[in-house]
Amino acid sequence: MSSVEESGGWQLTESDPGVFTELLKRLGVPLIVDDLYSLDSESLALLQPLHALIFLFKWIPESSSNSGSASSGVPDPEFPGFFAHQVVNNACATLAVLNALGNIPSLESGPELAELNSFTTGMDPQTRGLVITSADWLREAHNALSPPSAISLDELGLPKKSEDAYHFVVYLPFMGSVYELDGLKQHPVNHGTYPEAGEGWLQRARQVIEARIATYPPGALEFSLLALRDDPLPALQAQLTQLQSAGLDSEAAEIVARLANENSKRERWAFENSLRRHNHTGLAYGLLVALAKAGTLGKVKDEAKQVMKTRLEKRRERGEDMEED
Amino acid sequence: MSEYLLAFKAGRAFRNEGTNRVEPSPTKGAIILTNGDDGLLHFIWKNRSTNQIEEDLILFPTDASFVKVSQATSGRIYVLKFSSSNQRHFFWMQDASDERDAKFVENLNGLLQDPEYTLDWSSGATTSAQASTSQVPQATPEQLAQIQRIVQSMSGTTQPPAPELSLTDILTSDNLRPLFTSHPELIPALFPHLPPDLPIPPSTEVLERVIRSPQFRASVASFDQALRTGLLGGLVRGLGLPEEAGTSVEAFLRAIQEQADRGDSMETD
Repeated sequence: MSSVEESGGWQLTESDPGVFTELLKRLGVPLIVDDLYSLDSESLALLQPLHALIFLFKWIPESSSNSGSASSGVPDPEFPGFFAHQVVNNACATLAVLNALGNIPSLESGPELAELNSFTTGMDPQTRGLVITSADWLREAHNALSPPSAISLDELGLPKKSEDAYHFVVYLPFMGSVYELDGLKQHPVNHGTYPEAGEGWLQRARQVIEARIATYPPGALEFSLLALRDDPLPALQAQLTQLQSAGLDSEAAEIVARLANENSKRERWAFENSLRRHNHTGLAYGLLVALAKAGTLGKVKDEAKQVMKTRLEKRRERGEDMEED
Repeated sequence: MSEYLLAFKAGRAFRNEGTNRVEPSPTKGAIILTNGDDGLLHFIWKNRSTNQIEEDLILFPTDASFVKVSQATSGRIYVLKFSSSNQRHFFWMQDASDERDAKFVENLNGLLQDPEYTLDWSSGATTSAQASTSQVPQATPEQLAQIQRIVQSMSGTTQPPAPELSLTDILTSDNLRPLFTSHPELIPALFPHLPPDLPIPPSTEVLERVIRSPQFRASVASFDQALRTGLLGGLVRGLGLPEEAGTSVEAFLRAIQEQADRGDSMETD
C-alpha cells in the first residue's frame, strides 16, 4: 500500500472557500477565505483588510512544456519568515494556508498552531514541511472536510505526470516586499517592494499574478484565486451598532444588507461542509427504494439504459476510449 | 457419522503474518455442516486428499457467519467469523465454477442462523425473506469503510467493461422531483439519511438541494463504481438485501424492487 504512504494519510480536499474557512476556524484564526473573481481594484477593496492571495491552479501539462517558469522574482534563501516545503501531495492546500498564516504579524491563533509555529522556528523548509505533515491534529483538521468515500488522486494510481497537477501558491506582503511562497520551490521568491500608498502590496501582487497567467498558452491553465482576509462579521456588526445609535438609517441599511449577504454565505458554507462530511450511500439507497415503492424504478431504469447507450455511441463516434467521467 | 446438512468443495486459506494477506492453501477440501451425535451443529473442514477431518468447530445458532472477503485479490475467499469472539477461519471455494458460490453461502448462512433452515437451491432471488419495513437500514461505518476501500483499490489503469446503466442517470433531480410531488408520503423516511449537522431543518427543498449537490452526485458515482466491481455482497446484506444484490448495478436495483414489492404487499391499506 505505497499509495497510502505517499499521501501520508492526508486526504484530498476540495479547494473551496467554505473548506478553507472551516479549516481556519479549527486553527483558531479569526480569518476567512473568499473567492476572488477579479483582480480589479474595486473587488479587492471590498475584501480589505486582505492578508494574502492564494493562487491555485490545475495545470494541463501536455499543452505547455516550460511555460510558467519565467518568473520576475528573485529566490530568497535568507527569507526570515515562515516557509515550509510541500512533502505530501494532498496536504498542499493546508500547507499553503500555513505558509500564509505563519507570515501574518501578530495573528491571533489557537494554542496548537501557535505551538507548531514556535516549535518550527529556525527549521529549514524541508524539516518544517515534515513536522507539519506529521502533526496528527492538523491532519485531522484537514481530513475533517473530505468526504468519507472520496477517491484520492494519489490512490487512483494515475500516471506520474498528473501528480503535481494541483498547485497552490501564496502571495503576500512581508517586510515591505511581495513574496511568493510555493511549497514545491526551494526558496520563497521575492517580487520586489511596493508603495505603501494606495492599494499597497495588492498592486504589485496583481502585476505578478497577471504576468504569470499570461505565460501559459490559452486553455492550458485552469485557475482560481482565493483571498485570505479578516472575518468581516465582527467589524460589520460594530459598524451597524455605531450607525444605528447615531441614527444614520440609510447607511445602517447598507450594512444590514452586507451582513445578510455574509450570513447567507456562511449558511451555504455550513450546508456544503455538512454534505462534505457525510456519506450519502444511505440516501442513494433510500431514494432507490422510494422510486421502487412509487413504481417508477423500472421506467427510470430503462431511461438510464438509453442514456448510457447514447453516451457510449457518442464516445465511439468521437473515437474515445470508454473513459469514466 | 451424523447427518450432513450441507457440503461443498472448499479449501482453507491462511493469513500471511508478514503481508497480512489471506492466501489460499492448495489442499483440496470440503466444508461440511452436520448435526452431530451430540445434537450440536458442527462446522467441519475435511481434507479431500487424505479424507481426514482437520477442523471440527461446534457452532451455536446465530453466532457465526460466513462472508466473502471483499479485499481479497481472488474473489472467492470467505471468512467464518463469530459474533462472540475474534476467531477467524478463512476458506476458498473450490468448485470448478463460481456460479453456485452464492447459493452455497446463502444456504450455509441460513443453517448457521437456524439449523432447521430449509435449503434453497432455486436460482432466483433468495427466499430467506427479511421482512422489509419502511425503516431503511443504515449502513454501518464498517460497511462504508469497506466501500471506500473497494473504490480506492480500483486501479485507474484497468477499464471495466462498458456498463449497461449507471446509478448517476437514475438518481437525477429530473427523476426524483416528480417522485416527491406524486408521493410526498415517501419523503419523511429519507430524512434520517440526510447529514445530521445541516444548518437548516430537513424538508423537501433541502432534499432536492442535497440531490443536486456535487457531493451527493460524487457519492452516487462512487457507489455505482463500487457496485460494478461486484464485490459489495457484505454491504448490501447490511441493507437487508440478499448478497447477490451486491454483484452488479442491475442486480442491486432488482433486489431493491423485490424488497419494495414485499414491503408493499405486507402493508395493509
